[in-house]
Amino acid sequence: MKKWLTNNWILKLVALGLAVITWLYVNNELLK
Amino acid sequence: MNFVLWTKIIPPLEILILWFVIYQILVFFEGTRSFQVLKGLTILIIAFIVSQLAGFDTLNWLLTKFFGISIIAFIILFQQEIRLGLARLGQQHLFNIQLEESEIMAIVEEITTAVYKMQKSKIGCLIAIEKEAKLKTYIESGVPIDGKISAELIQSIFMSYSPLHDGGVILRRDRVIAASCLFPLSDNPNFSRIIGTRHRAALGLTEQTDAVVVMVSEETGEISVASEGRFIPIVNRERLVNILKGLLIGQTKQNK
Repeated sequence: MKKWLTNNWILKLVALGLAVITWLYVNNELLK
Repeated sequence: MNFVLWTKIIPPLEILILWFVIYQILVFFEGTRSFQVLKGLTILIIAFIVSQLAGFDTLNWLLTKFFGISIIAFIILFQQEIRLGLARLGQQHLFNIQLEESEIMAIVEEITTAVYKMQKSKIGCLIAIEKEAKLKTYIESGVPIDGKISAELIQSIFMSYSPLHDGGVILRRDRVIAASCLFPLSDNPNFSRIIGTRHRAALGLTEQTDAVVVMVSEETGEISVASEGRFIPIVNRERLVNILKGLLIGQTKQNK
């Protein structure tokens, strides 16, 4: 699991950031 | 299930699914020319969100209009990738299917046989094995082959009278994907003056990606393996097999 996470971690982090931003934006949490 | 509990689970679950989908999209585009376009689009989306948050009405209006037409632009820009992506979904290749250890060993055996036969005939070669990072940009620079790996196929590509012998061959899983591919040249000052173009190309590719490159020098018949921007000296056949086995099987286990 640790190895999977550290492998290509930059792309995984960017994807996580984008996922969180998208979710917050769509659910109007950002504009509250 | 308790409804309140379910509503609490939905947001993290949704983010997790989003993460997976976005990561797959990024991996799909990584290493291609379209990745730069995707980066540009991401910056624009972030700018759009920031402008909404900050209440920049004019900017917001402009970006809203831009996004209206950008759907058509997106389809035109990523036409090839969308087609490829849908084809992959149809073939159920989205989830990376790993090769068995025995299959990898068979591939290593074919590569080793080809390399030693070429060394004997003093034929130069440059073979890149794709790992996690996609080599699409370099595949696009060559001639598509998509044939099953065999020592004979690799040898015939590098024969001096073959129109494909210039440049490198790219292997993905058990296929020879493309030949005559151009690799980026290393500008490492420690190597660039003492090594030839083929070695610099091998070094350059392994500096920029996680690919493994096997090469035979045309002048000396020397065999080398390059990985992570370094050369690994090869003294005999067993060593080549062990090095390739370590670099390729290690990767497979890491992915599991």
